[in-house]
Amino acid sequence: MIGTIFDIKEMAVHDGPGIRTTVFFKGCPLRCRWCHNPEGLSFEPQLMYKDARCIDCKSCQKKCEHEECKPFGRCIHACPENCLEIAGRRVTAKELATELKKSADVLGKDFGGFTFSGGEPLAQPEFLLELIGELKDYHLCIETSGFCDSKIFKTIIDKLDFIIMDIKIANDELHKKYTGVSNETILDNLNILKESGKAFIIRTPLIPDITDTKENLDKIEKIIVGSTWEKLPYNAAAGAKYKSLGIEYQIDWRRNDN
Amino acid sequence: MVNYMNKLYDFILDKEHHAYRHSVDWNLADEYAQKGLSAIERMSDRFERLCDEEKAVILDGEQIVFLRTVGNLPAIFTDKEWEEINSKYYIHELGFMSNLSPNYYDTIATGLLKKKETADEYGKKAIDNIIKLSDKYLEEAKKQGREDLVEVLTQVPRYPARNFREALQFFRILHFSLWLEGNYHNTVARFDRYMYPYLKADMEKGIYTEETALELIEDFFLSFNKDSDIYVGVQQGDNGQSMMLGGCDEDGNDVYNLLSELCLKASCNNKMIDPKINLRVSKNTPAERYTEATKLTKVGLGFPQYSNDDVVIPALESMGYSHKDAVNYTVAACWEFIIPNVGADIANISALSYPKAVDVAVHDSLKKTDSYDEFFGAVRAEIEKECNNICENIKDVWFIPSPFMNVLMDCDIYNGGKYNNFGIHGTGIATAADSLAAIKKYVFEEKSISKEELIKAIDENFENTPELLHKLRFEAPKLGNNDDFVDSIATELLDTFAGALKGKTNCRGGIFRAGTGSAMYYLWHANEIGASADGRREKEPFGTNYSVSLFARVKGPVSVIASMTKQHFENAMNGGPLTLEFHQSIFADDDGIEKVGLLVKNFIDRGGHQLQLNTVNLDRMLDAQKHPENHRQLVVRIWGWSAYFVELDKEYQDHVIARQAYTV
Repeated sequence: MIGTIFDIKEMAVHDGPGIRTTVFFKGCPLRCRWCHNPEGLSFEPQLMYKDARCIDCKSCQKKCEHEECKPFGRCIHACPENCLEIAGRRVTAKELATELKKSADVLGKDFGGFTFSGGEPLAQPEFLLELIGELKDYHLCIETSGFCDSKIFKTIIDKLDFIIMDIKIANDELHKKYTGVSNETILDNLNILKESGKAFIIRTPLIPDITDTKENLDKIEKIIVGSTWEKLPYNAAAGAKYKSLGIEYQIDWRRNDN
Repeated sequence: MVNYMNKLYDFILDKEHHAYRHSVDWNLADEYAQKGLSAIERMSDRFERLCDEEKAVILDGEQIVFLRTVGNLPAIFTDKEWEEINSKYYIHELGFMSNLSPNYYDTIATGLLKKKETADEYGKKAIDNIIKLSDKYLEEAKKQGREDLVEVLTQVPRYPARNFREALQFFRILHFSLWLEGNYHNTVARFDRYMYPYLKADMEKGIYTEETALELIEDFFLSFNKDSDIYVGVQQGDNGQSMMLGGCDEDGNDVYNLLSELCLKASCNNKMIDPKINLRVSKNTPAERYTEATKLTKVGLGFPQYSNDDVVIPALESMGYSHKDAVNYTVAACWEFIIPNVGADIANISALSYPKAVDVAVHDSLKKTDSYDEFFGAVRAEIEKECNNICENIKDVWFIPSPFMNVLMDCDIYNGGKYNNFGIHGTGIATAADSLAAIKKYVFEEKSISKEELIKAIDENFENTPELLHKLRFEAPKLGNNDDFVDSIATELLDTFAGALKGKTNCRGGIFRAGTGSAMYYLWHANEIGASADGRREKEPFGTNYSVSLFARVKGPVSVIASMTKQHFENAMNGGPLTLEFHQSIFADDDGIEKVGLLVKNFIDRGGHQLQLNTVNLDRMLDAQKHPENHRQLVVRIWGWSAYFVELDKEYQDHVIARQAYTV
């Protein structure tokens, strides 16, 4: 099964127990306005252009024969400053698993496990399931929005050791407004998660005036009732990668919560 | 930190103590030349005059005293004389003794009067001068009504230290005197080992609690920073005041103690660039100790630097060091392994440039060779040739004799010591390995780049071949990605270097030790060649010490550790760490700290030899370049010492900024 990922991060520290390797799946059904991994939104490979290093040599505009460059009209191999990169790599579950196991081997007993993140890993369910099968000897964790068909959700979490799920906004109308989708399925899946007996934590990113309102947080507290809850401070650098993808970051101010 | 410490601390940080300094404009060199004095007579005389000129200054609230008031050491040789000496002898760096680790504790436990009995004529004079200077401090202490100091200075340095405070003060006097005599890179060695008995006894008597002991240690640590701006070094911070904590004794027992722990804490609290904290670890080191040490890493001083006993000690023994001496190892100014009390190794006498060897082979031999193995043979020949060159050209090593250093060492040090090995750094291993990997893959295996094409592109600094540059720079296999294809080349390079030095004897009867460090050669050597086959452009520096290439795209610290622990360090144990840079944010909580500690443990368990961790914040450094006044205390790790970022020359700043940092 082929899937699309956009990054593999060794030495991830906030994605579960131990020193973990995190795989970032490309593509997400949500469109949260504060997303700090914009290259994870679309399911398709995208061109990322970092203009800070561009010396305007126009080498990328020369015609080339590389298949991977054709969709973008620029040659990504020609840039002497490495300003151009394609976000999104297609890979089979087996290939990816082989690659991932290398970092596990290095760390041996100090290796904590793998975390599936993104984007939304549940949006490539068959690929994810196959990958889980290949990595079943390791501690497996997922970071998910919980937005997924409930049957699929249950099937997948049953095979994992730890689940990190976001509950961003309690009110459905506001949830649709700020993330593009209803939270009904998410809340259904939250119940499935609670009943599964699996170890999990709930995360809420604190987006100024959107999710960090007293009303929202009080409501979420009631919904999650006693579950471990991590409130994440707003990442002031969240908008950093948008420009390189040609997308606009919709939250036009920053706040440093330190 | 207590109130007085805060005031004193700010006073030193604001450099207000510099107001007590003056320069002397003595023309000693001409006077000595006229009188026809020998080198040792000159050193002895200058020391006497400087001790005489030094005033006793006791700062408000200072517990450990002695402060330099003379800011310069006048030359003892005229230019003409020095030229003659240079033509006659091999002079290492400035010619004064450096990178030695004298036996402080023996003198601290004996007292200078007793030491005088076995000292030579000039040693006796030096001791007298130190006592005279110390008596000035005693007088000043009386004047200021500092009863505590009066008691201490009545005892030390004439007589043995009786307690922790006296031991620390005695150390300060000895260390201060070494610097005043003209020695540099005066290392501290295994401080926690030789000082602990004093602390232990005092704590058992109830004289100190852990808190009050920590305060005193912080005051003591502060003393390393008071005069360091006038110590010699490549940049400020490069002064060799290296302290080694932890490690084992002769029987392999762990000697980490309360003092070791307090030293880590004192460094955390002071946040100053001296003393440089090193920590010896092994596979027996518990995970919690790595967590404690990582709290110091978080502070961003580049401390501690780790050395792996399991790898270093056997390697030293196989190089001819006795077991007793090998287990006692410490580091020199940066990271070279030396032996306290008896070692006179010159561990930084020269350096080999791996990329230069590759460059010569590319230009002279690439077109003539039909296989990668044949080409590597040409590289090997260049390395061997350069090593022969280096070794054969070091004859008649001579150092300006230091009478007081001689008093403090356990052996006669004027013409060498018990060990007289020479250390040779190895610069740019990643640049060389990456270049060779690219040549192996594209020129010989895939044949997608012709030899002519490659040579031409390199000679033109890739100006006309952006796509080739991109391929070599960003797509070719790189050291640091746990890729055996290129990692094995690094292994071969280090083996070749070690092999080229094997069996050679130096002019002092010692051997040559191949190392994995670069010192400042990463800049110098990089300017010797143009662009390289790894996609490095001309004038771009190499990475420091044992690190991956500055611009290599690496997967992360786990892969880097995997790549850089595969080599055969047992043959090349001069020292030189792997450097890992982490973004500050990884240390934001306990989770991150613990995991970084675990990563270090993993490095050691895998057989890594030496490691330094840097904590960086790119935004902060860039801002510091624009607004240095806002970032006075920003410290960065250079190649083996730490510096205040804003005091560095721009090319050093740029290099640190260019380094890879792992973010979360």
